[in-house]
Amino acid sequence: MTQLQIELDGVDKHYGAYHALKAIDLAIPKGTFVALVGPSGCGKSTLLRTIAGLEKITGGEMRIAGANMTGTPPRKRDLAMVFQSYALYPHKTVRQNLTYSLRLKRMSRAEADRKAEEVARITGLEQLLERYPRELSGGQRQRVAMGRAIVRNPKAFLFDEPLSNLDAALRVQMRAEVRRLHDRLGATSVYVTHDQVEAMTMADHVVVLRAGRIEQQGAPMELYDRPANRFVAGFIGSPATNFVPGRTTADGSAVQLDLPGTPCVPVAGAAPDRPVIAGLRPEHLQPCDPDRPGALQLPIAVVEATGSQSFLVSDTDPALTICLAGRSPVVPGGTLAAEIAPHLVMLFDPDTGAALR
Amino acid sequence: MPALSLPRSFRPGLTLGGLIDGRGFDTLLVMTALGYLAVFSAWPLVYNLIMSLQEVDLFSLASFDRPFVGLGNYRDVLGAPEMPQIFRNTAVFVAASVSLQLAIGFALALFFELRFPGASFLRGLFLAGWIMPPLVVGAIWSWILAGDFGVLNYALKSLGIIDENIFWLSDPARSLWSVIIANIWLGVPFNLILLSVGLAGIPEDLYEAAEMDGATRVQRFFTITLPLMRAQLGAVISLGTIFTLQQFDLFAGLTQGGPSNSSNVMQYWSWQLSFQEYQIGLGSVISVLMIGVVVGLAAIYVRSTRHEQVY
Repeated sequence: MTQLQIELDGVDKHYGAYHALKAIDLAIPKGTFVALVGPSGCGKSTLLRTIAGLEKITGGEMRIAGANMTGTPPRKRDLAMVFQSYALYPHKTVRQNLTYSLRLKRMSRAEADRKAEEVARITGLEQLLERYPRELSGGQRQRVAMGRAIVRNPKAFLFDEPLSNLDAALRVQMRAEVRRLHDRLGATSVYVTHDQVEAMTMADHVVVLRAGRIEQQGAPMELYDRPANRFVAGFIGSPATNFVPGRTTADGSAVQLDLPGTPCVPVAGAAPDRPVIAGLRPEHLQPCDPDRPGALQLPIAVVEATGSQSFLVSDTDPALTICLAGRSPVVPGGTLAAEIAPHLVMLFDPDTGAALR
Repeated sequence: MPALSLPRSFRPGLTLGGLIDGRGFDTLLVMTALGYLAVFSAWPLVYNLIMSLQEVDLFSLASFDRPFVGLGNYRDVLGAPEMPQIFRNTAVFVAASVSLQLAIGFALALFFELRFPGASFLRGLFLAGWIMPPLVVGAIWSWILAGDFGVLNYALKSLGIIDENIFWLSDPARSLWSVIIANIWLGVPFNLILLSVGLAGIPEDLYEAAEMDGATRVQRFFTITLPLMRAQLGAVISLGTIFTLQQFDLFAGLTQGGPSNSSNVMQYWSWQLSFQEYQIGLGSVISVLMIGVVVGLAAIYVRSTRHEQVY
């Protein structure tokens, strides 16, 4: 059995009357990379800060390596945090930033220096050890923030949107680098991001939060393939899932979509004759012969071509996005016939948003 | 290289357009500032320096044609029998005032940084001392410190700390400290406000990072707060010293330098020489010496603000 490094049992956090975290259950095995993802204000940063001990929980229990942490101050939790702003000590050189925590633990200067140099080699900071943070670029500062966490060899790493201040190209590069470091160190990481692509590409386990509640957690592809509700289906995947209201047929083999021409799209294993919201991922809609049964006839209003992919937006209500590999077969003003495989149609309850299959 | 042909309004010169948009306006602003400095700062300083080398009394005050005495005035001042005591008083006055203002001001700034309900309102109340004219402050403190009916003696007696009235202002051993107490009260708000601004400028996440790194509250103060406050502390100490060297009203309001120079300081002595004894040359000598000290402190101040941290 894998050892659990961080466990949360029904953790609640109130700020006065505001209920920021609602009964959070989370078990993080040792060596796992967990991403906390959700829109702004969903409580993901609060949850991370709660694990760090920077926020006190108001209910439930939290354990690190089996020990109850409820009353333990952050400095005794043995967790390292990488802040969004990096929070480097501006009056200390890179070397002093790296050795600060070690020197606080009364490690000898020589030993601390040796560790700092080792970490500098891993993170590529060797040439920058005597520089001050203000003399570093954004990417270099980010590395120092990571190095400062690594040098402590903590029980777990906590990342608070660490890549959001980098430009797009560097972000993609650092994404892979962070994950590689995690694997190399055999670390346990909790990573907060609002970017679902980051969460999907980096994490073993993704936790989707909304309004202080966990909507769903699981492996990235599980969340993509079997979202528990409409919110997760809309949040995971890019471009976002199309949602179309409709009604299942009497035998439950198809959905009558509320679109022009009321197409009847075959689905697999649906409850008969009930209102539904169908979720159609843009990349699952594919061009087909217009005469095929169940084909959607979509007037196209916008074509966005990136070369490798084309995004088509239909002139319907609601507008549908279709994502095609390569070039678009139609121009704006034309009509695209598209179909979707029955097992890829997601169905949700119109009232609760819960997945129906 | 051929000159770019600029539109008329961008061309430097004294045309109206140039004055409003172009370099003419910049020149006007610089000349205004320089002119002000020359007339109201540089000239008085130079004039004061010249007077310190002349024999100046009431009769020769109006004319610039006065006998030069070389460094005679300097010899007179530095050799005066009261000089060692007044110099010592000044050193004690400055050192005690600045260090205690700083300690109390910093402690209060840290206290108000805890952001309890009403913190900013209470901090605002501390500015009250700043609004009052120092001469009025001196008058009020002279009542507080009065030997026979003063409220300080009353309070100390009620608390059982003293048995007999202390004559704060007329006891030579205490008179200087009476002025120091009043001056500390006067200077704390300045220290509090400036240091509060500095503390507020330190990002919260630095403290959180240090906390995660294992620093206790005390360690965070010494490894984060104090080094990041270096610029503000330098500014407060140098400005505080300058203000303390300027402090005149409290001496006028409390002790007039007495009894028998026991609470006299350089700045008050300079005034006494110039405007009570009309030995204006001697008074100027003290001014010149003090200007030297203040210029040195101002240099430290400028240096410390130049090194302000960028986050």
